[in-house]
Amino acid sequence: MESKTADKDVRRWVTESAESQAAPDGRTHLVISLKTTAFISSSQGVPAKEVEITALKQGIIPSRYFRNIGTIGLDGQIKLLQSTVAVAGVGGLGSTVIELLARQGIGHLIIIDNDRFTEQNLNRQIMCTEGNLGEYKVTVVSRRVKQINSATTVTTFRERLTRDNAEKLLGSARVVVDGLDNLSSRLVVEHACRQLAIPYVYASIGGFSGQVMTIFPGDVGLSSLYGSSSDTVPEQGIETKIGNPPATVAMIAAFQVQEVVKIVTGVGHPVRNRILFVDAREFTIDRIELGR
Amino acid sequence: MALITVRFYSLWRSYLGTDSATLQADNIEDALAQLEERFGPRLRKNLEAAGIHLDGKIQDYSLILLNGVTLRNLKSTALKQGDVLHIFPPAIGG
Repeated sequence: MESKTADKDVRRWVTESAESQAAPDGRTHLVISLKTTAFISSSQGVPAKEVEITALKQGIIPSRYFRNIGTIGLDGQIKLLQSTVAVAGVGGLGSTVIELLARQGIGHLIIIDNDRFTEQNLNRQIMCTEGNLGEYKVTVVSRRVKQINSATTVTTFRERLTRDNAEKLLGSARVVVDGLDNLSSRLVVEHACRQLAIPYVYASIGGFSGQVMTIFPGDVGLSSLYGSSSDTVPEQGIETKIGNPPATVAMIAAFQVQEVVKIVTGVGHPVRNRILFVDAREFTIDRIELGR
Repeated sequence: MALITVRFYSLWRSYLGTDSATLQADNIEDALAQLEERFGPRLRKNLEAAGIHLDGKIQDYSLILLNGVTLRNLKSTALKQGDVLHIFPPAIGG
């Protein structure tokens, strides 16, 4: 009863605080500002995320998501706010993925990494700065997410993902995103996601090129590319010779985030049972249908 | 003897200057031998010019799929008309 009253109060506050705002196409929408969201959250004792969801359910757009809605709709934004996404690894891909997911308005992020930032991360790991070298990555990125989106809650694990802990760390996620920089950890994550029946958005890069694939339980996956025997899996790839430049990381991380958005909102079609090759050197995009 | 298509991706496409080729081959071993003969020296020469040294034949430093499955998982090496080999460097970074 108390909870229902609180919900009603939040709805009332949201409705009474809404203001009209014109979209670029000239149509007007009811919106609620960040400041008002924070005030209602604080005065009513409910998380900012719940205030935003309440607003969206009444057709009122939190201003911060105003430019998201045309792409995914109000329902899509609600689904994103209600979702938990795990990012396995805070490498180049993982850093940019986290930045974009926070801006997109994912409700809860699980971030797993046991490393600290080093100078070699400065070229591509978007949250690595000269001032935070030596800090644990999960500490820095958690702080960054809070700066970007106070409605997104963050759970961090300063651990290395292993076969023993993967299912425990990833178990509550709706989607797991690859933020790793080595194949053996990716195989661990893929295995855990299959066990947990969670889709896994795989990606990797080298030089001007990168590749992306979403693996649902039952889909073909990394064994079609690298083989089923762990004895034949390459430890390192051509990136040791041609590098991991920042723009390639950003480009492929953006594709990963699109996959997450599609999976969670149901808008569009994830890249399943095929691998997407993106090559910025010649600017080509290819898809290879994978078999078993 | 089967007519098959070979498709190159990412850096291999850049350095070979083509995205595909056709081969007549009985089996994978035959196809890989022809591939090495036709493309191996050019690929390594262009890679060397860019400061990238790779040892061995193309199959030693590439990922190769037959109709979307890595050669490492194949049960038979026989080829049939219309088969497609996909060849690219392993890019594992992040």
